[in-house]
Amino acid sequence: MQESEFQKKEICKTGIEELDVMLGGGIPIGSTVLVVGSSGSGKTTLCMQFLINGAKQGERGVFFTITEPLFKLTKNMEGFEFYDKKLIESGMVNLIDLRIISERLGLDTEKYTVEDASALLDILRDIADELNVKRLIIDSITALCYRLQTPEMIRDFIFKLGSSLAAMKCTTLLTSEVPPRKFQYSQYGIEEFISDGIFFLGDIERKGDLIRTFQIVKMRGAAHSRTKSAMSISSKNGIELAPLLRSRE
Amino acid sequence: MANVLIDGLKERISNAIKINQSIGILLPGSNYSDLLQALFEYMSSQPEDVWVYVTITKPYETLAKEFEFIEESKHITFIDCISRAAGITKTYPNCIYIESPTMLEKLGLEVMNVFKEVNNERRKYLVIDSLSNLMIYNDPDIVTEFFYHITNRTRARNIHTISLAIEEEGMDKYLNRLIYLNDKILKVRDSFI
Repeated sequence: MQESEFQKKEICKTGIEELDVMLGGGIPIGSTVLVVGSSGSGKTTLCMQFLINGAKQGERGVFFTITEPLFKLTKNMEGFEFYDKKLIESGMVNLIDLRIISERLGLDTEKYTVEDASALLDILRDIADELNVKRLIIDSITALCYRLQTPEMIRDFIFKLGSSLAAMKCTTLLTSEVPPRKFQYSQYGIEEFISDGIFFLGDIERKGDLIRTFQIVKMRGAAHSRTKSAMSISSKNGIELAPLLRSRE
Repeated sequence: MANVLIDGLKERISNAIKINQSIGILLPGSNYSDLLQALFEYMSSQPEDVWVYVTITKPYETLAKEFEFIEESKHITFIDCISRAAGITKTYPNCIYIESPTMLEKLGLEVMNVFKEVNNERRKYLVIDSLSNLMIYNDPDIVTEFFYHITNRTRARNIHTISLAIEEEGMDKYLNRLIYLNDKILKVRDSFI
């Protein structure tokens, strides 16, 4: 694809300055991006910062959590300066516990049948549509996939979700949990093929200390950087990226 | 005698930084305390300027005890790379703490973040104390790469830099390569002051 064609695409700015530069402006609108990392790598923080930054620009968003209760999620986020409680109260950012929705739908909380998955998909689409959200997070797709019983169900679920949200011009981030220091993008080996983009959050060891790293593995429709960056998480600035020093360790 | 020595150092620093974007100060360990005093007195006498002082040599707490006036100097922000690694957990409002001196990218980010918030009309200075101590915690090659990055970024934003290097046996090869990236080198010798 030519550079000019990339530039013509509508983009969704993450609001993380260095990341937007690496993406050539931002994520192409309507894309589904897998945010991959092990426990504590910063997936949830990155997603929340993306959502909050969007809300500050007038784009409504929704965060579906499956891995932790809402009170824990908000408590963790309150420590960040980018977090603005008013955006939650005003409905610009919506936080929803997917487990509660599943319970209310009467779904088996451990394993979903094809019908359960279809009902859940409908609910997610309806919420996105009714709230007119432009940014949507599922944290984590791994926990959701665990409940889907076959690779076909996982493929079908993510594909249909991504397609519906793309039609709504909603940009989606799905977090994917992987074991530390493993070069893999998902637990089930399917999620990465259906996603338009992959952000990989890892780490490298330097003199016994762990340096957080960030890499865009793919981003369809964007002339993106593929270099590995150092990533910092601070309460003042949230996620920040800097060129990774590469000299021989 | 001590005053003459410190005044001499202050004058040399002042003259060099006025006409150069970056200066490197190469000194024997025996002159470190005098240089530190000269540097802090000089920095304190320039309240209209903005200073970022990166310490890899002494924890901020120790510096603040030695030079009481630095705690009151609102135009100086300290970045302490060694306290946390040494288990010192106390915090001070004018000091940013880096978990470990190996986290060089984080250090670079914090330096630039301080300057980002500064009005462009104010003169900006970065002090790195010291390159030789960064090499204690990191491989020399990565310190060289870090120093290239930081000097390129500071030059682009019109930030003056003062980098200290304490002469150590066996490190000359690396220190010389680094220190000569600066526009001007001050070699501190007892006989010069």
